[in-house]
Amino acid sequence: MPDERFRLLLEAAPDAILQVDEEGRIILMNRVTEQMFGYAREELMGQPIEVLIPEELRTAHVGHRAHYRTRPSTRAMGTGLTLQGLRKDRSRFPVEISLSPGSSQEGFHATAIIRDITERKLADDRFRAAQDRYTQKLAETNRELELRSREIERADRLKSEFLASMSHELRTPLHTIIGFSELLGEELEGPLNEKQKRFIQHIHNDSMHLLDLINDILDLSKIESGRLELRPEPFDLTAVVTESIASVRALAEAKSIALETLLDVPMAIEADRLRVKQVLVNLLSNAVKFTPEGGRVRVEAGIRGTFVALSVADTGVGISSEEHESIFDKFYQVGATTKGVREGTGLGLAITKRLVEQHGGSIHVESERNRGSRFTFTIPLRK
Amino acid sequence: MKKVLVADDRATGRELVRTVLENSGYEVFEASNGLEAVNQAHELFPDLIILDIHMPGLDGFAVIEQLRREEHFAATPIIALTASAMMGDRERAMAAGFTGYITKPIGLNALRAEVARLIR
Repeated sequence: MPDERFRLLLEAAPDAILQVDEEGRIILMNRVTEQMFGYAREELMGQPIEVLIPEELRTAHVGHRAHYRTRPSTRAMGTGLTLQGLRKDRSRFPVEISLSPGSSQEGFHATAIIRDITERKLADDRFRAAQDRYTQKLAETNRELELRSREIERADRLKSEFLASMSHELRTPLHTIIGFSELLGEELEGPLNEKQKRFIQHIHNDSMHLLDLINDILDLSKIESGRLELRPEPFDLTAVVTESIASVRALAEAKSIALETLLDVPMAIEADRLRVKQVLVNLLSNAVKFTPEGGRVRVEAGIRGTFVALSVADTGVGISSEEHESIFDKFYQVGATTKGVREGTGLGLAITKRLVEQHGGSIHVESERNRGSRFTFTIPLRK
Repeated sequence: MKKVLVADDRATGRELVRTVLENSGYEVFEASNGLEAVNQAHELFPDLIILDIHMPGLDGFAVIEQLRREEHFAATPIIALTASAMMGDRERAMAAGFTGYITKPIGLNALRAEVARLIR
């Protein structure tokens, strides 16, 4: 390569480039070297390379150089160490150095490419400081969150205790209201006229309604605060269907509603037996409630993959498609109820949906006005 | 006439149970707290005891614990009456030595049936 082009190449480099001979004397350098170390070219040429490193490292460096002479290779110098350069004004700065060996007529020489990494070190330090600050902040936030979650747990426990005691306090007077109205209605204490009988019946019915509301609100608040624990156990689904049907039989018979079941083989599943029954009874009593006299209510069950699907279909008043979503909302009540049926709380389907979902299943309705309804829910066969 | 002791801190609750059971032909005695219940039990030796779980001072659990320690009350039918609807309450009551468990609000027929079943 012609000298001029070689020189241009040397000067174009952003790093200091130095060449030293066998004895470590500087035999070639570019302008960046002058700027980096603060020496004029004449001051450095022919000098041992050790003038550019801090005094305390010079002796060792001579040794390193001798070692390099025996095992020359292109590599980074002092991997993993923080190397320092020494300027003419005795100030030091961090450097990164790569070495490569060479030889010519004059003998062995080594080329060093030196990069001033002051800026990068600063950026690194700033980054590390920021990281430290961030880590500290994170630790603080964690502590705060932990504190807050403990507060929430405490509030939750208080709420739970409050609900339990409220439920207890409300049920206590209801107990005697319901009991005495039942007692009067039995007429053991003396006969009642028709109007009195009706009034007593109103008191009794509304007290029972209030009791349903208390139970449902307690249930729902337990579910919504995640405190309702399912107690899964293996059980025979057929038996639960039979029990659930039995609990609405009296109501169905009073309205001459036929109760049918179509169960696919006896099914053993693993779920919360009481809650599954609660779901079924709720759907069944809705079905009976909204089906006119002489209608039909049918329970079907079958396996769907890893789920069991249960459906309760009726020949009742049906639900218009606009209401298919909202019927699962709290306190939503479908307008026309059939006569002579105990008023609902508007919470039954909201609870039902949440119970099914907490099991990992889903529920939906197919229905049209005056064409009956079919509620289908799924429960995993195994928990 | 079979003797029934009813312990409840609310007078209306006691009167309700008393009325129902007197109609069924039992002789009914009342206690308005746990201590009274223990004392009455020692005086009357009733054939059946109905204990409200939730009473100030000695509650139903404390009363039954005391009574069951005595040989005389080892086999006396004792019914727990509670307005609590928490799961596991029944198990707890049965484990404490109660022979029956009725939740408030009571169904009158359920009360009659439970008493008839346990009293002999």
